[in-house]
Amino acid sequence: MTVHTPIESRTRGVPRWAVGLTSGMFLVAAVFFATNLAGANPRIGGTPAPSAGGRNAAAIIKAAGCQACHGPDLAGLAAFPSLHGVKNGPASANLKQLGSTNPTDWANIWIAGLDPSVSDPALRRGMPAFGGPPFNLTADEIATVVAYLKTLP
Amino acid sequence: MAVNPKKLRPYDQPPKVRRPIIPNEPDNAATAYLVAALVWFMIATGIGVLWTAMQLFPSQLTFSLAMPTFSGTLKFELSPATVSSGFWNSLVYGWLGNAGLGAIFFITPRLLPGRLVKENFASVSAGLWNVGLLAGLAVVYMPQLAASGALTEFPLPIDGVLLLALLLANASFWLTLLASRDRLPYVSIWYFGVALAAFLGLYGLASLAPLINLPATGAALTNAFYGRALETLVVNGIALGTLYYVIPRATANPLYSRGLAMLGWLLWLGLSTFAPLATLVDTSVPFAVTQLGNVATFLLVVPAFLVATNLLVTVSGRWSLILSPGTIPFAMVALTFLVTTALLEAIGALGSVRTLVSGTQWGVGVRLFAFLGMASLAFLALADHAFPRLLRRDWGGTLLAEATQWAVFAGAALAGLALISGGIAHGSLLAQGAAAEQIGRTLFWFRLALGGGMGLAALGALIATLNVFLMYTTARRADYAVVGEAAPAAAAH
Repeated sequence: MTVHTPIESRTRGVPRWAVGLTSGMFLVAAVFFATNLAGANPRIGGTPAPSAGGRNAAAIIKAAGCQACHGPDLAGLAAFPSLHGVKNGPASANLKQLGSTNPTDWANIWIAGLDPSVSDPALRRGMPAFGGPPFNLTADEIATVVAYLKTLP
Repeated sequence: MAVNPKKLRPYDQPPKVRRPIIPNEPDNAATAYLVAALVWFMIATGIGVLWTAMQLFPSQLTFSLAMPTFSGTLKFELSPATVSSGFWNSLVYGWLGNAGLGAIFFITPRLLPGRLVKENFASVSAGLWNVGLLAGLAVVYMPQLAASGALTEFPLPIDGVLLLALLLANASFWLTLLASRDRLPYVSIWYFGVALAAFLGLYGLASLAPLINLPATGAALTNAFYGRALETLVVNGIALGTLYYVIPRATANPLYSRGLAMLGWLLWLGLSTFAPLATLVDTSVPFAVTQLGNVATFLLVVPAFLVATNLLVTVSGRWSLILSPGTIPFAMVALTFLVTTALLEAIGALGSVRTLVSGTQWGVGVRLFAFLGMASLAFLALADHAFPRLLRRDWGGTLLAEATQWAVFAGAALAGLALISGGIAHGSLLAQGAAAEQIGRTLFWFRLALGGGMGLAALGALIATLNVFLMYTTARRADYAVVGEAAPAAAAH
């Protein structure tokens, strides 16, 4: 004897309340859909436009994995700071000194890990993720990324 | 009279029983998948604790290790990015994937006449799936070898192994269904069929997409669609099919309404297919397409409500089972998470909410509700029902089962709520133009709550495994019927 124990059901038909509920919800959704078709999608989060210099900042940012910590739109994630507002100078307290001594290229210095005022060697290894090769960026790539970051609000 | 075995002639000796290399006994595949699932549950929640710690103290916990190889230097990296990948892959593919496939191979032969066709295919798929996952989990910590995207980090050779495992699992399931000649099988089988086919198809497409060199935007959109479809069609599908099985079985009540179940399935199938369109947010995608996805996401509340109502009414007359430890409390909490998740996703599909929580971890919190709450508790309900039958042990209703239920429930609720409320706070602060430091300080406390939730879930996983270990080693043997063998008792399913 094989064990085949089907599960029975009390009723076979669909209860009327379920038909009514489903029809009502679909009606509401259809009205909502029909009246909310105007609009446009924003650019996909975390895919910045190619920068003016011909290099693709989007590709560099994606390959370097910046969004993993700074969020898909680079607006910060948890304890990781936002990269918006770079054009206004550093927001983080630990970068104020660097910003005041190097007002134009403080971001480049920080990303490259060349800030002499940072005593912690782990933090001096530069972005991304304070890592070494193969994830460290060339000076040109850093310049492209910083140029793009300065276009963010 | 004692017999000297050395003096036995060859034809006096009992024939040797040859054991096949690939086990082909009934329920072998289900046992392999479900035991592996529990191990992966511990691994996933353990990495989950590290994932939250990484968000709290990133610079202190980040490190890399360069290993010289014949072809250069290989870097092992423990960073927020790699730990996050490790957590989601082990949770979705390791815990939920194994538990889901185990549930399918446990339930299918019990609902369809006859045993599983090509059980050895299913057993091989369990082996391949877990070997592939272990290799994949190692690779995500070596960014040089890993591919890009979320839940698509495994390189092509590992994807090939996992695809083969899914192909074998599909073959065994569909051959069993064909052999049964059941024209209108029970609703669980309908959910499993769609989920298994979708798993194979989606995973295949996601693995092969990098080969066609999509532009960065196309790759990101494909990846977002894949992640959402995996949740709606695969994880939710198997979990709903499982709940439809365990609740009538554990209560010994008939299902309230077959018609309602089929209506819910049809709605789930249609809406779950369209809901992932909501992730296609880019200027290259027509707004109407994204909006269609949002409407489908909103409407997914309907099948969730129909399923929950159908199964709740099924319990009627056996309400006392909710208060006693065992399968039904797990299933009831899973139903609660099902409705809550559907409501939160519907709220998140509204334009104003989308704008507020964009770029925050709101969506991650809702996904934790779905994965760690709804699906995990549905599979724990099945584990509570299935393990005594698979291991043939007289065991059930223990304090350990209750402890598992409360720890996983509290952990999933706390972790999900921390991320959801943290997402709202983050969105509000961004809208006010708050400084990064202020946002970081505020979110720290939400991260701390997330850590507490993940810790509780990890504790639940540990207790669940201990429960099964004690069941196997200490409980007395019980004769449950195995599909394909003689049934020792009438109700021994």
